[in-house]
Amino acid sequence: METWVRFNSQSQAKERLCRAAQYACTLLGYTLQKGGAGADLLMTVKQLESHMSLTRKLMRLGNSAEAVESAKRAVHLSDSVLRLCITVAHLNKAMYFACDNVLWAGKTGLLPKLDQDKWSQRSFRYYLFALILSLTRDAYEIGLLMERESRCCGSAKASLSSTPVALTPENGDLPTTPSSSASPSPPPLLIPTIPSLPMLSLRLRKQVRLLAVVLRSNPPLLLDLLKNLCDIVIPLDRLGLYPTGNGFVGACGLASSVLSILTILHPWLKLKP
Amino acid sequence: MKLQSLESNMSSGRKLFRLGNTINSIDAAKRTLVLSDPILRCCLTVANLSRALYFICDNVLWARNIGLVRDINKERWSLNATRYYFVSLVMNLTRDVYMMAQLMVQRSRDRCYQQKLHQHLNENPDVACVVVPQLDALVFLLIECLKSNPAVALDTVKNLCDLFSPLDRLGVYQTNAGVVGFCGLLSSLLGILSVLKPQLKIKP
Repeated sequence: METWVRFNSQSQAKERLCRAAQYACTLLGYTLQKGGAGADLLMTVKQLESHMSLTRKLMRLGNSAEAVESAKRAVHLSDSVLRLCITVAHLNKAMYFACDNVLWAGKTGLLPKLDQDKWSQRSFRYYLFALILSLTRDAYEIGLLMERESRCCGSAKASLSSTPVALTPENGDLPTTPSSSASPSPPPLLIPTIPSLPMLSLRLRKQVRLLAVVLRSNPPLLLDLLKNLCDIVIPLDRLGLYPTGNGFVGACGLASSVLSILTILHPWLKLKP
Repeated sequence: MKLQSLESNMSSGRKLFRLGNTINSIDAAKRTLVLSDPILRCCLTVANLSRALYFICDNVLWARNIGLVRDINKERWSLNATRYYFVSLVMNLTRDVYMMAQLMVQRSRDRCYQQKLHQHLNENPDVACVVVPQLDALVFLLIECLKSNPAVALDTVKNLCDLFSPLDRLGVYQTNAGVVGFCGLLSSLLGILSVLKPQLKIKP
């Protein structure tokens, strides 16, 4: 199995390039249509796009086995949420690739009586589930990192506020009210009130800032999140759940392909596990 | 009809897949230009340049198949592509023969081998050995070298199998689709084997 995975990974980079080219054709076709180009040119671009799509299906003929192998590896992860998300995402991807292989057989004429629309919808559904699980995993990792970051920040702030008291013991003042110099301490018994709007916006701004800090210090996570967000547009459009149009789908597909080419060129940018 | 459509699909898929190989071949030619042995340097550089030209023709044919370019003579470009491929195969075979000859000369000077040869010639009661001992010694040397250098043997067999396709298309030695198909399959399997086991890949 290891040999097959190593052998197969050599063609994955070319498959990513083909994907980028395919979605660039989608975007180009949309732009040309809006710009009022001739039917001949549009036909050529459409033919090129379908040729790239068929070739990619040929290149991906072995990916089902690879996805099952990745799922087998993910079953041994220690964190239960990550274990669930990643394993189920890989299994869904394996099903997506299996449907994709069947579609390839149908398109090349091996299975002429195949209902291509049905299998296409099926494959997009599996792809959508896999993407939802990947996004859940991203959200979970972001949540963990934000919690860790806020704890670090909180403990750092607490140590900073306690140092002025420790520095002046000869005053004889007991540190009963350490924050008396800073701000008036709140009353001990608080009646639970609905937080006001400025407080909510302050809290929201703090969370957004924390999110920005976490994402900036974790480029693999940021890349994976952006890639999954771009990718999810495609099945949402193709399944008719949130139609956006060929132009937007092409742009998002192209962006996610470029990001995945970046992770191949710079392996440290790949999110692990 | 189904198989023909599948074959043409695979062929056009491969053409797309190979769009970047021109640069790979030119890079390989640059690397072989600095080899120390003059015969290897000549053979491999010409083979790589010829292969680069073959890939350029192949890319143009792909564009024609897709419909990106319409007014080119498909037959002429296809013939040129086959010719360049043929030249690169002939150069690769020359290199294989040269390497084999060098190995045989080296081996024949080896004392252990000489003992083995003597043993083989004396033990074998075949008529052919007695009549033409030199031929038998040569064949024995060849087989010994092939056994101890699987990479060269593999490359030679692969190039020989590959040779049938351009020979058939150029009309030099016409066989049929069956022979071409079988040889193509065999050479592809040998190529996959050399990727799976890097020690079986010929160097340089």
